[in-house]
Amino acid sequence: MDDDVERAARKVRDVEQAVTEHVTRSGPVTGRASSPDGAVTVVATPGGPPQQIAVSPAALRMGPQALAAEIMRIADKAQRNANTRLHQTLERVVDPRELTAMGIERGRDEDEFGWRP
Amino acid sequence: MAAVNEDRMQATERLQRELAALIATVEHPNGTCMVTASPKGEIKALHLHPSLLQQGAQAVGQVVTETVRLATNAAVQASFNKMALALGDGMAIDVESIAGDSPFRSTWNPVVPPKAPAEQAPPERRPRTPRAEDSDDDAFFDNPSWLR
Repeated sequence: MDDDVERAARKVRDVEQAVTEHVTRSGPVTGRASSPDGAVTVVATPGGPPQQIAVSPAALRMGPQALAAEIMRIADKAQRNANTRLHQTLERVVDPRELTAMGIERGRDEDEFGWRP
Repeated sequence: MAAVNEDRMQATERLQRELAALIATVEHPNGTCMVTASPKGEIKALHLHPSLLQQGAQAVGQVVTETVRLATNAAVQASFNKMALALGDGMAIDVESIAGDSPFRSTWNPVVPPKAPAEQAPPERRPRTPRAEDSDDDAFFDNPSWLR
C-alpha cells in the first residue's frame, strides 16, 4: 500500500510540476462571466470556489432573492468557462480524461470573451 | 475471497456516490449570507439577508465570495471526514500527503475582518451554543465545528 501511495504521490508531483511550468508560461487559468446588464460578474477557478464576485450598485435593486439567483447563474457559467479553459490549456500536458475524471468537465463553448488557444 | 472483493467494490462505489453528492452549508460570521456549496466550489444554494444589500455592492460581492469559500472548505473537509470514516485515518492521511492538507489542518481563513458598516449583524442572530468537548484525539474529528 505504501508503494502505491508513493507511486501516486510521485505521479501527482510530476504532473504538478508540468502544470506549474505550463501555467507559469501561460498565466493562471480562470473563467469569467457577466450578466448581460453587468449586474453580476464572477471570476472563477477550475474546480474551486469563485475567486471574485462583483455586484454592480444597480443590482442591489433586484432584491435579495433575485440577486442570489443571478449570482448562482453567473458563478456556474464562470466555473464552466474556467473548466473549459483548463482543459484547453492543459490538454498537451495532462490527459483530458483525467481532468474529466476529477470532475472538471469540458463544456462545449462557454467562452464569451474570445478564448485564444 | 470473491465475496470480500465484491463487498469492497460495493463499498467503494457507495463511497464514490456519497462523495459526489456531498455538500456543506455555511453562514458567514456576520450572519448576512448563507451558502450551500460542493467540494468543487459549485454554489448549490445562496441566501442573502436584506441587510447585506443595504451595506452596498462591494460588501455583497466580498461577503458572498468569502461565504462560498467557507462552504467549499467545509464540503472538502466533510469529504475528508467521510473518507476517513470509510477507509480509516491512515488512508485519509495518505490522501493528504498527495492532495495537500485538509482545510481543517491548513489554517487559511478567507474572511477579511469586517470594516465598520459590514460588522452590523442582523438583530435576530444569536451565538451558537458551544459544543461539548470531545476527548477523542482522532486526527480528523478533533474539531467538532466541522462535523455538521
